Amino acid sequence: MALRRIRDPHTAELLDRGLVVWFPGPQSFTGEDCMELHVHGGPAVVSGVLRALGRLSGLRPAEPGEFTRRAFHRGKLDLTAAEGLRDLIHAETEAQRQQALRQMEGELGRLYQQWGETLTQALAHIEAYIDFSEDDNVEEEVLSQVDAAVQTLEQEIAAHLQDGRRGELLRSGVRAVIAGPPNVGKSSLLNLLCQRPAAIVSPVAGTTRDVVEVSLNVSGYPVVLSGTAGLRDATDPIEQEGVSRARDRLQHADLVLAVLDATTVPTEPAELGAALGSLVPPTTPCILVLNKADLLRGHTGVLCDASTHRPPLPPTTLLSCKTGEGTDSLLQLLGQQLAKLCGDPLAGSPSLTQSRHSTQLGGCMAALALYRQQQDVGMAAEQLRLARRHLGRITGHVGAEDILDVIFRDFCIGK
Amino acid sequence: MLPWLFSMSFSICEKESRQVFPKRKEILSTPLLTIREASVEDLLLTEPEANRPGKCQVTGVVLGDGSTVCAGSVILTTGTFLRGVILMGLETHPAGRLGDQPAVGLAQTLEKLGFTVGRLKTGTPPRLAKDTINFSGLEERVPDNPPVPFSFLSKAVWIKPEDQLSCYLTHTNLKAQQIVLDNLHLNDHVRETTKGPRYCPSFESKVLRFPNREHQVWLEPEGLESDVIYPQGLSMTLPPELQEQVIRSIPGLEKAKILQPGYGVQYDFLDPRQLTASLESRLVQRLFFAGQINGTTGYEEAAAQGIIAGINACLLVQGKPPFIVSRTEGYVGVLIDDLTTLGTTEPYRMFTSRVEFRMSLRPDNADARLTHRGFEEAGCVSQQRYEQAVQMRAALEDGIATLKSIQFSVSKWSHLVREVPISSNRRSPLSAFDVLRYPEANMEILARAIPEPLRKLAEWRELSERLKIEAAYEWCVVNQQQEIEEVRRDEALRLPEDIDYFAIDASLSAEVREKLNSSRPQTIGAVSRIPGVTPAAIINLLRFVKAEKLKAFPQTGKYLSGKMYSEKATSQTPISAEISEEELGSTFVKTPL
Repeated sequence: MALRRIRDPHTAELLDRGLVVWFPGPQSFTGEDCMELHVHGGPAVVSGVLRALGRLSGLRPAEPGEFTRRAFHRGKLDLTAAEGLRDLIHAETEAQRQQALRQMEGELGRLYQQWGETLTQALAHIEAYIDFSEDDNVEEEVLSQVDAAVQTLEQEIAAHLQDGRRGELLRSGVRAVIAGPPNVGKSSLLNLLCQRPAAIVSPVAGTTRDVVEVSLNVSGYPVVLSGTAGLRDATDPIEQEGVSRARDRLQHADLVLAVLDATTVPTEPAELGAALGSLVPPTTPCILVLNKADLLRGHTGVLCDASTHRPPLPPTTLLSCKTGEGTDSLLQLLGQQLAKLCGDPLAGSPSLTQSRHSTQLGGCMAALALYRQQQDVGMAAEQLRLARRHLGRITGHVGAEDILDVIFRDFCIGK
Repeated sequence: MLPWLFSMSFSICEKESRQVFPKRKEILSTPLLTIREASVEDLLLTEPEANRPGKCQVTGVVLGDGSTVCAGSVILTTGTFLRGVILMGLETHPAGRLGDQPAVGLAQTLEKLGFTVGRLKTGTPPRLAKDTINFSGLEERVPDNPPVPFSFLSKAVWIKPEDQLSCYLTHTNLKAQQIVLDNLHLNDHVRETTKGPRYCPSFESKVLRFPNREHQVWLEPEGLESDVIYPQGLSMTLPPELQEQVIRSIPGLEKAKILQPGYGVQYDFLDPRQLTASLESRLVQRLFFAGQINGTTGYEEAAAQGIIAGINACLLVQGKPPFIVSRTEGYVGVLIDDLTTLGTTEPYRMFTSRVEFRMSLRPDNADARLTHRGFEEAGCVSQQRYEQAVQMRAALEDGIATLKSIQFSVSKWSHLVREVPISSNRRSPLSAFDVLRYPEANMEILARAIPEPLRKLAEWRELSERLKIEAAYEWCVVNQQQEIEEVRRDEALRLPEDIDYFAIDASLSAEVREKLNSSRPQTIGAVSRIPGVTPAAIINLLRFVKAEKLKAFPQTGKYLSGKMYSEKATSQTPISAEISEEELGSTFVKTPL
């Protein structure tokens, strides 16, 4: 065990100073040679280290439960005795699975799905050529079509990887939603946090009709912040749609910034609890923001009672979007909540998943590049298979039956 | 990219096969084999053996005339006869094949025993009289010259190349399509609820799914001496008069005479998941099933199962352990693993796309993969065949070692073998084996450049071809090696045959328990191939793996590609520099694909 500087092997950039522990097999968890890097848990550091590891040859991200299986195969783990391990494995892989599922929603997910389909079809067509070209009239031009499709795909993935860390497409941060009744200053809060006017602010209630979404970096954590329409029973159909979208966002939120007007907020615990309950889904973490603090005159008593509230209030801050007072306090609370959400290793932070994705996409690209070099159609197909497998670790694998489905759908193969 | 398969076709074409089989004389003169023709109506059953699963044991069969034949094991290969029904147009009548009675009694027995029965449909084209066909103007497909023998023991096919018969190609047109469309109301088979395959089982389905196209029809002779032409691609279930109209609308067949109309067949099959990997039933001990009864279609698929079932039926009687081919060792392994783990809902055909290790499971190395095991474990390989395989293996090992030991710089190679465009970017030194990998290279060229010691190798044509193939595919094979080993390792983890998946104390969803119970996987490897079974579930099942996990499959792996030649010429050698090692190193994970 040693304290070492950890550097990116390609750029020599210093990633962290951390503990490096070497377990020579068989005195390790899995019985194989094992190394552990204990780094300081900030997501940027973890992400950086993972990316660097992903670029090293001979390494790949572990499959869910893989360390445990290796331990088992080498007789290091007697599973009949390890009762608690079962639940741990379940929790770990379930959380990973759910995180993966969530990553697949939205634009990014759709993009990966589309790539997956393109590659599946390309693979299916080349397989069709191999299996059926003679007898069933699968023509040679099929191959040039596959070439073209692969080339386009390569370009798209390359562009995405370049764009990667900053691009609008990487909307896979913590989903924070600003919610509250109309005209409490939600859009002002959004603009404050973004430090640019992303949302339209006007004194008329019911201004925001749509969901405004911005990707942010708060204390190193990636956040996708959504500003929504004020929640009320609207009569205007466009506003109704906006409210409905707001509620939908709330359902899927990781964190809610519940905004209430400090001047009109109910002081009775029951009423306040009810007001919050109508905004925030029961199990979702929340920060209560009492805005328009600049208009408060002598109502500061409301916060002092926070700890005596039954049920206890969520982390609360006074804020004035107009004057900026309370911004630091809000950012501090926000940072704490994000640390809790992202820091939990079992939950799999978004940045972890991003690194995994980059590695898989890199592997996919490498296989596609090798595809181009092959003259033997069997070996070319093999590269496409490898490429598809890499992508499969993001989008879900396809098996032989899925390939056959496409083959029979696209070609007339018969008896 | 050129479409080019290096000196190997994934499926050596079996159009010739119909000409050559059946070899009646050879079957009838095999020692210890008695052939008897009769209908089999029922099975003789008795109490099961205690230590194995099964509710009873088969001890023989009952024939149509009431007599019995006793047996230590029984194999059923009922083809399409189990409650077979023939459909032509709107007419149906019970038959296994045109002119043959279906097997109804046996079907009822099997159902009563508790076998899960499904129903499949297939079809066959009309047969045409050769001398009523006008072949002029049709594209001719000339047979291979020289034809490649199937058998490793044959130096050449028995027939002279010029005596082989050609196949001819023609196409249907919109006229034929119209006849089908006008008469759909007369065609029950196509519209029925019985699950049809994803591929097009008949001309009618081609017209419906891919309309307004010409469809290929291959005119194949049924035998060397035969007058019958088999029009592949024209399975039909239209009434005979309409079939004739369709035929007559096709170029070349304007005056063709139908000797026997095409028809559809529907038949029972038994869910192959109730079989073990040796093709023995889990319900009835000593009862084996092979062929279409397991839901497959095609001659090769049936024959492959027959061989395995036959071997295992014998081994069982001899009290020896079963002979199981892994999906890492051969196509028959993939076939049986797919059937017994996943089952099937359409007639199962083998395609190379089903085989994840096809780069290692090639026709050229079949002897290396299977002959040795066949001799040592299964007892089905002759001494002669075995010795030839051993000799070839030694020659290949030596040959590859020799080739790898000849090392020169890139510039020297460029002079020695000018025909081969070796990129100057390659890192020196290069071995002769590395050079052989280039498409332009072959043993002849190498032997000319370095006659000592390569000339002798090049003179043995078969060895030269195999060396070339080994070189061409080496990196693929080496890459897959780790994956193959992972699969084998998982196959070595056997699950007890009598697990009650609904009762075990493990974190498994009801859905997964259901799948496991239907499939009854025998190994952890099989579990991982069942769709919808999560990694967590697999780990949970590891607890139930038998303690003998490390003893299973002692011989597997010794003879296989990549490993095979590793004693002298290590297959762990770094892959040649043209392909980036870095990229290849980081890609291995086992998946179903």
